[in-house]
Parts: sequence; C-alpha cells; structure tokens
Amino acid sequence: MLTRGTLIYIGQRIVLIAFTVLAVSSIVFLGIHRLPGDALFSEHLHGQQYELLLHHYHLDEPLWIQYRDYLTGVVTRGDLGESLVNKGVQITPLVLRELTISAEVGAFALIFTIGLGLVLGVVAAVRQNTWVDYVLTTTSVIGYSMPNFVIATFLLLVFAVWLGNQTDGAFYYQIGGGWTGSIGQIWLPAFALGFPYASIVARLTRASMLEVIRQDYIRTARAKGLKETVIMVRHALRNALIPVTTILGPLVIGIITGSVIIENIFGIPGLGKEFAQSILNRDYAIVIGVFTMYAAMVGVANLGVDLLYVLIDPRIRY
Amino acid sequence: MATAAAVVAREIPSPEQASLWSDAWRRLRRNRMALISTIYLVLLVLVALLAIFYTPYRMSAVGIAPTYSGPSQAHLLGADGVGRDVLSRLMIGAQISLIVGVGTQLLVVVVGVTVGLLAGYYRGWLDSVVTFIINVFYGIPDLLVALILVFLLGPSLTNIIIAIVVTRWMDMARMVRGQTLSMREREFIEAARASGAKPVKILFGHILPNALGPIIVQATFGVPAAILFEAFLSFLGVGIQPPTPSWGSMAADGIAALRIAPHIVLAPSIALSITLMAFNFLGDGLRDALDPRSRR
Repeated sequence: MLTRGTLIYIGQRIVLIAFTVLAVSSIVFLGIHRLPGDALFSEHLHGQQYELLLHHYHLDEPLWIQYRDYLTGVVTRGDLGESLVNKGVQITPLVLRELTISAEVGAFALIFTIGLGLVLGVVAAVRQNTWVDYVLTTTSVIGYSMPNFVIATFLLLVFAVWLGNQTDGAFYYQIGGGWTGSIGQIWLPAFALGFPYASIVARLTRASMLEVIRQDYIRTARAKGLKETVIMVRHALRNALIPVTTILGPLVIGIITGSVIIENIFGIPGLGKEFAQSILNRDYAIVIGVFTMYAAMVGVANLGVDLLYVLIDPRIRY
Repeated sequence: MATAAAVVAREIPSPEQASLWSDAWRRLRRNRMALISTIYLVLLVLVALLAIFYTPYRMSAVGIAPTYSGPSQAHLLGADGVGRDVLSRLMIGAQISLIVGVGTQLLVVVVGVTVGLLAGYYRGWLDSVVTFIINVFYGIPDLLVALILVFLLGPSLTNIIIAIVVTRWMDMARMVRGQTLSMREREFIEAARASGAKPVKILFGHILPNALGPIIVQATFGVPAAILFEAFLSFLGVGIQPPTPSWGSMAADGIAALRIAPHIVLAPSIALSITLMAFNFLGDGLRDALDPRSRR
C-alpha cells in the first residue's frame, strides 16, 4: 500500500502544505501590519518607555526587516514571536499547549460526528420511505440548521440549569480529564461541535447507501445467503463510505472553526478560545500565530483524508 | 384560416403548456415543509420591513424595563441585562440577518456567475487560474478567513458582507463553471455560434437562462450560510457593533445570564435556528422543484 509513488505524493503534499502555511502566515502578517493605529495602544505609555517597548518588539524597524526576521524565526526555529499584550509570553509553547487541549475535544467531536452520522444514515437508508426515514431526514435538516452556539446553549440550559448542576459549573475544564471527566468538560462541547456535522454525514451516508444497495453485487451477496447485517456493514457501507470521506476535510475545518465559539462558551482553555480572545485584545502576534497553526492543521487534515481514500478503496492510488 | 386555428387552439387545452417555472411552482407548493418555510420567510421579511418604521420600543433604549425581567404584557419577550426590550432588538436583528443573507448572495451571484461563465466558456489559462484559486479557498477555514478580514477591514455591515462574499463565492463559481462546460458543447450553443452570436450573447442570452435553476437553488442555500457567518462573527464580538443588535451578539450577551434569564439567549437562538431551517427547507424544495430528476 505504501508504494514509492505514495511516498513521493506525500512528500509533495507536505512541501505544498509548508508553502501554503507560509503564504497564509505572510498574508496575515502583512495585512495586520498595514492596519492603521498602534499595536501597543493598550499600553498607555509615553516617551522613553514607549520607545523601549517598541524596540523590544522590533516594531521600530522597517516593515520588511520585521517581516524578514519573523519569517526566519518561523522557518528556522518555529518561533511565532512574543505576545504583544502579555509581555514575555512566548507564543509557540503557549499555542502548542492549547493545541493539545483543543485536539482532545476535537477528536471526541470527530469520533462522535462520524459514528452518529454513519449509524443514522445507514438506518435511514435501510428503512427508506418509512417513518424512521422521514424522521431522520427531517431531523438532519434541523441539525445542520442549528448554529453550534445555539446547540451549546440548549445543552447548558438542560444540563446545567434544568437538571441541576450536572456539569461541574460547565465553565471549568480539567486538563487531561479525557472521557472520564464530567460531561460538561468534554461530552457536551464535543456534542455541540459535532452535531451539525453529524446531520450532514447522516444525509450523505443515506444517499450513498441508497445508491450502493441497488447494485448487483449486493443482490449477489443476498443470493449467497449472507446475513443482512453482514451485507450492510461489510459490502454496502464500505463502498458507501467513499463519497462520505469527501466530507471529512470540510468536517475538520468545521470542528476547528466551531471550537472558536464552543471553547468560549464552555470555558475550555484551547486554541479557539485563545484566537477569539486575541482578536478582541488586538494581540496581533498571537492572531498571526494561531492562524498559522490553523492553516497547518487544515493542510495536514486534508492530506490525511486523501490518504484515507487509499485505505478504504484499494483501487485508488497516488 | 388563421382565426379558425386560433379558435381550435383555444378550445383544446394542451397539457404541454405549463412552463418550467409554473411547473416548478406547482411542485414547490406540494412540498409541505417548503411551503411552511416560504410563509415563515415572507412573514420574517414583513417584520423586518415593519421594523424600519416601527418597533415597540427603541432598540437601544436602556432601562425601560427592569433588568433581566421575563416576558410580560408590556415587553412580550422580556428585557435584557441593561433593561432593553428584547422583542424590539429581535426585530432589528431580523433586518440585519436578512440584509446580510440576501445582500451577500446577490453579490455572490454576480461574482460567481461571471467568473463561472467566463472560466467555463473560455477554458484555457483563465479556467486553470480560476480552478486553482477555488481549490486554494476550499483548503482554508472560510469562517476564520472572514473573521480575519472583518478584523482587518473594521466591523461594519458593508465589511461583513464583503468578507462573506470573499469567502463564499466559490461554490457558485464552481457550479456555474460546470454547467457552462457541459452546455457549451450542446447543439443549441453550437447553433447560436454558427448563426454568428457574439460570446456575450451566448453567455448571457443562452447559457445563463438555462443555468438559472441551479443558480437559484445554490443562492437559496447560500443565504442561511451567510446569516450563520454574520451570527458567528457577531457572537464573537467582531461583527455588528453595539448598540445595533444582531441575533449573534444578542445570544452572546444572553449566554452569561443563562441561569437567571434564559429568555435573553433563547429568543435570538430560536429565531436564528428557525430562519436558517426555513431557508434550508426552501432550498431543498426548490432543488426538487426545479430539477425533478434529483427527486429522492
């Protein structure tokens, strides 16, 4: 499976990802530095102190030197610079630590989304044109029409307010709590992040299952006397998965984007919360850093999806 | 002779007379969810229009009701954390959502259709460039790009619309490009070209009218996406700025008071969800109505 061609393909893609990340990072860097106003406006400093601070961040140098230093920092040391609001805080370690937290919640959301979506999609397809199907297809429109912060609000209302405090305050996150943590720490945020996308996965799975189960080889499998569950899972679902895989790229993007809101609502100290906070605080250095991180994550996720095709469908080769 | 033929034509009702559009309208009416959604959306537009002239209270008037007070006769949806009337703010929020949703899609149609038609018709390097740009855009998180753009341009209704158009025109362009690519090989286009029609005439007189159905469907699905973008931006505090309310910022304000006054967050959340749902159901209905072959 891992032929030489595949390895070359992966290599090319990684180079491409690196260039995309660099381009995104540069565009945001230059875009932000063109903004009118002062990056240190929140400091209320004047005279020499202000000059010192400008010098500390190298903001007194011409833009192209700043840009050159920034680029060399990113490329050679993976250094994203220093926070403009909290002096002395290095961005790279901060962002990496927050990334592990976001990744934990995101992974749960992803597993939940795909699992629920596949199950509902298969059930709706097998029971096509029965009330089960109608309920599921209608619910899926409702599902992807609800913004994630609305779902989060309802979850908090139900679990934190109406059912008494089931969430340990809900605005508290224990690092490394994992699935053993209270529902407010990981299950509710993961549900809020994943539910809209679970509806989309369910819809896609249903449509693609309906297409597959009309194929001749399914009839052959039935004629052989295989059990219906075996036919559905091993023969139909595996082939129905290929169109569903295409949604995984947008799905990862969706979960990253969603985390910007959901982490704020549930008080999860992850990358998304940092991003939203930095934008409001006008901490440009962190905004650039986190956005660079996002570009890298999306690139890697898209590569992962493309490699997944090979796993699911042996006919696909790169 | 001519009059006799006319009489005959009038006397024999021909079932073939229904046009594509009246056919589509008939099919759409039969789709119950789409019909209910259309009625809801018409009402929403009326409410938004009404809000230009009349809201029960001024949307920015502070302290006209006890803070966090629940629904009452004087304030049907209660008051928010600084004593503003939630219903009045919800009505203005409907205006904002509709302006953003419909405004962006009008621009998206203009940009997407032009780019798609040109790329699909002329192919060559133009098509390669357009396809490359579209693929780049698909690879980046559009909402976050919009967020950065609004951050760079400064928060205003116009800038929000610009940011959404910049990040959302690709779907339309890609679809129109595909339609154009397949249509330019068809006989009626060949005939038009043979009879000396200019490219502008072929693109806008022959190809565009035939792609109108998918364009309308795509634009209908684009409206809720744009409304969601605006709500997202406003929820985070980078979108519509106070005192003008947006459903997103109202929800963000309300979520802090979830325990003591859930109505503040529920009102905009429910309005937003139902509106997005209605557009999605209408889009589903339009797709089934305009393209009967895709019917499940």
